[in-house]
Amino acid sequence: MCLPGMNAIDGEEMPNKTGAASRQRPGFFKVLKKSALSFAAMMPMLAGVIALVGLFQVLVTPKMLAALFHGAPLLDTLTGAFAGAAGVGSPIVSYLLGGELLEQGISLFAVTAFVLSWVSLGFIQLPAEVEAFGVRFTLLRNLLAFVFTILIATATPLTLRLF
Amino acid sequence: MSGADKPFTFRGKYLLLGVLAAYTVLFVFNPDAGMAALRKSAGVAVKILPVIAGVIVFTALLNFFLQPRQVVRHLGGKSGFKAWIWALLAGILSHGPMYIWYPTLEELRRHGMRDGLIVTVFAARVIKIPPLPLMIGYFGLHFTLVLSFYILAGALIQGWLMEKLEHNR
Repeated sequence: MCLPGMNAIDGEEMPNKTGAASRQRPGFFKVLKKSALSFAAMMPMLAGVIALVGLFQVLVTPKMLAALFHGAPLLDTLTGAFAGAAGVGSPIVSYLLGGELLEQGISLFAVTAFVLSWVSLGFIQLPAEVEAFGVRFTLLRNLLAFVFTILIATATPLTLRLF
Repeated sequence: MSGADKPFTFRGKYLLLGVLAAYTVLFVFNPDAGMAALRKSAGVAVKILPVIAGVIVFTALLNFFLQPRQVVRHLGGKSGFKAWIWALLAGILSHGPMYIWYPTLEELRRHGMRDGLIVTVFAARVIKIPPLPLMIGYFGLHFTLVLSFYILAGALIQGWLMEKLEHNR
């Protein structure tokens, strides 16, 4: 099956009488091939990040994470943000670990920072982010994400205390 | 989107080499941990492969239906309030790890998407709809609602701040 104005073999555009629009727009399969190629070019980067994820999941255990907290809310919030940024995996894993940390008496400030930074920050994906968006963008975005992690982690438990 | 074609070159080679070096060291000193890490990585790769395939098709559809001038109009310098809502929705609805969305967002950025909107997409990604019931189960409904509100507000402010910082360059 091929779309109008498209070569059935490789998705190349064919000359036809449908006017300027079809001359400008390449066929879908050509666009799909280009999209697949841009991902293929990123494969070493993706493979590197995926391999790092496995490495961290084996070397950084929940016990090691819990040992980082000392009971001082402000310091623990900062620690939670850094620990979350070092963590990798789906958000569900951060909820499970956060729940465990809460049960061990870690403050809600710290656990909120941990859960937030788990998704919004990531040390191991920094090289990939730099590769895609550049150093300046990556630095500014991660700095903003870190500051807002601390602000939201502080504001959420304080707001809950009002109700 | 058409845009200028970039020559095909593999990216992240040094990152991959560095990680391979780390694995080599781990295998020398602790082969069991090395094997466990490899198995975990293989598990992650198998899990995200369908997502990557989906993102490739999604990127192709975006490129096919969106012309660069449309990207500029909807997500570029003069795009309005709706662009921020789209960025929030894109962040919330985007599936899988953040790094698999880098090529798509990089492509959109190359065609004119504002940096502030990209920052908002990344910041809004903290809210994920499928695991929300689990979050409510662990932390309670009030916590989830308050946190989600702050995340969305924070995502918009971060995007806005990014634009201010870019303007002050």
